[in-house]
Amino acid sequence: MSDSIRDRLKATGEDVDPAAPVSHGEHPVGDPTESTHHSYHAELDEQSAKRAELAVASLFMLAVVGTVGFIATFVFWPNEFGKHLYEFYTPLLGGFMALALLGLGAGAILWAKTLMKDEETVQERHLLSSADEDKQGAAAIIKEGAADAGLGRYPILRRSFLLANGALGVLAVPFLFGLGRFQFKEAAMAKTGWHKGSRLLDELGRPVKLGDLEVGGVKSVFPDVAGGRHMADSAVLLIRMRPDVLHVRESRKDWVVDGHIAYSVICTHLGCPVKLYEQQTHHLFCPCHQSTFDAANGAKVLFGPAARSLPQLAIQVDDEGYFVAQGDFNEPVGPSYWERKPHYKDEVK
Amino acid sequence: MTSTRSRLSGYAVVVLALALLGGLYTAFLAPKPKAEDPANQSVAVKEGRQLYLQGCSTCHGLNNQGGAGGPSLIGVGASAVVFQVESGRMPLARGAAQAPRKTVKYDRTQVDQLAAYIQSLGGGPELPAGKLDDGELALGGDLFRTNCSSCHNFAGVGGALTRAKYAPPLTAASARVIYAAMQSGPENMPRFSDNTLTPTEKRAITRYVRFTTSESKNPGGAGLGRYGPVPEGLVAFLVGMGLLIVVTLWIGARA
Repeated sequence: MSDSIRDRLKATGEDVDPAAPVSHGEHPVGDPTESTHHSYHAELDEQSAKRAELAVASLFMLAVVGTVGFIATFVFWPNEFGKHLYEFYTPLLGGFMALALLGLGAGAILWAKTLMKDEETVQERHLLSSADEDKQGAAAIIKEGAADAGLGRYPILRRSFLLANGALGVLAVPFLFGLGRFQFKEAAMAKTGWHKGSRLLDELGRPVKLGDLEVGGVKSVFPDVAGGRHMADSAVLLIRMRPDVLHVRESRKDWVVDGHIAYSVICTHLGCPVKLYEQQTHHLFCPCHQSTFDAANGAKVLFGPAARSLPQLAIQVDDEGYFVAQGDFNEPVGPSYWERKPHYKDEVK
Repeated sequence: MTSTRSRLSGYAVVVLALALLGGLYTAFLAPKPKAEDPANQSVAVKEGRQLYLQGCSTCHGLNNQGGAGGPSLIGVGASAVVFQVESGRMPLARGAAQAPRKTVKYDRTQVDQLAAYIQSLGGGPELPAGKLDDGELALGGDLFRTNCSSCHNFAGVGGALTRAKYAPPLTAASARVIYAAMQSGPENMPRFSDNTLTPTEKRAITRYVRFTTSESKNPGGAGLGRYGPVPEGLVAFLVGMGLLIVVTLWIGARA
């Protein structure tokens, strides 16, 4: 410990024994009590101090200007979308707020560097644990309390009290059943808004009918249930291509109508919407991780991290010429999960 | 004499009546000549054929049958011509995964003549008359986000497709080009027929694209590709943190 600090501690009236070691052990980075501090400014004379004061004060005034400007912008600047100069509203607010904070901060730094006293002090830390007599005192209070309450004298009361506390602990156990596979129901993951006979509605709620799409056309379609357009698992892309380029496997040959085929757009990798359809290559492309599916070939994976084909929605045309779903998807849409069965049969649910 | 005069007057009455009838017919009943006069149309087709033979037939064939270089143009419609030629994509500079937007080689009249010629071959989608970008902005935004944004990005700045192809940015596209693209489905873009997106809806989308790519402003100055809060946060973090580090170093150096 340097003498100057010792002297200062003495001046504060603390009892410091010069012989007592302040720190123990080795100091790989040097003794922290050895001050290496160099004062970075000399005592200012009267005139310089006045100048510094003015500089600090003007920075603080700049902060005031920032706040006033912020409030004035907030009140008077046109901020409605489309109004003349509205696009400067946010930048002005930000600029004035920055000015307010910067003025205060810069003023404080300048203040500390020029006018504040530069000195180093040491604050001693006390032990973290309580003193022995405090611990004994606390133990005595607890014992006395237990004796006063009669825990030792009435054993039935004591045991029932302990049992009640234990029972309260058991109360938490049912909450654990809300976690993990106790909760899991395969059906919830495998079911979407599609059902047998559901018309394919476009984004404005109109049913799509045969002939609406030209070859090379697509349509985002949703089930005809309430809130269907916003069901994240039910979004489907209806694609029309030339029937001769569309390869449909035998078990799904009734799932398509005259070159029209419908796939879930939820990527089987991580669930991004796969709606980038290329009408010449028949690729469906996921923008998140570049998984590429072949829409002309059961949406099988051509490239990328997706492991499974996109689920296909079986469609047909009803008596009035509108597209309807034959049922829900035959497999869960979207990414895999632990409990997902590895294989699903091509049966319409 | 009397009979001659009466015979003459009879002729005169008939002639007068015929003239009157004819006049009435021309004035009220005769079909009006259409705005697109067939005579003008055929002139446009002839001119268009000349332009076609000079500029396009090397690849697309003397009879539009297509060839080694280009596809057949029978049935692609006037919209395809407007899209490809008015955006400078055709004539093609070189074979590549995709035709890029270039300097336009034909003026508006020539584009219309070429379009009339191609339309005369086998029909196909045609641009409607009148303004194309006067639709409803909010409806257009809704439809754009459902039908277009997956490839062209919700701010219309385009994006990548498979195997070196890309959905181009819509920032430079005119209303005619945007509308024609939806109708004709150029290259790998799906085709949106009038049953898929009605003309009203196409007008709304065109209006939205024009608005969002050229009229709307970026509060804060730079849009940063309009990718949203992630790049904005990144820039704020890097620039802000960088400045703070510089200031901290400066304060430290002065100490």
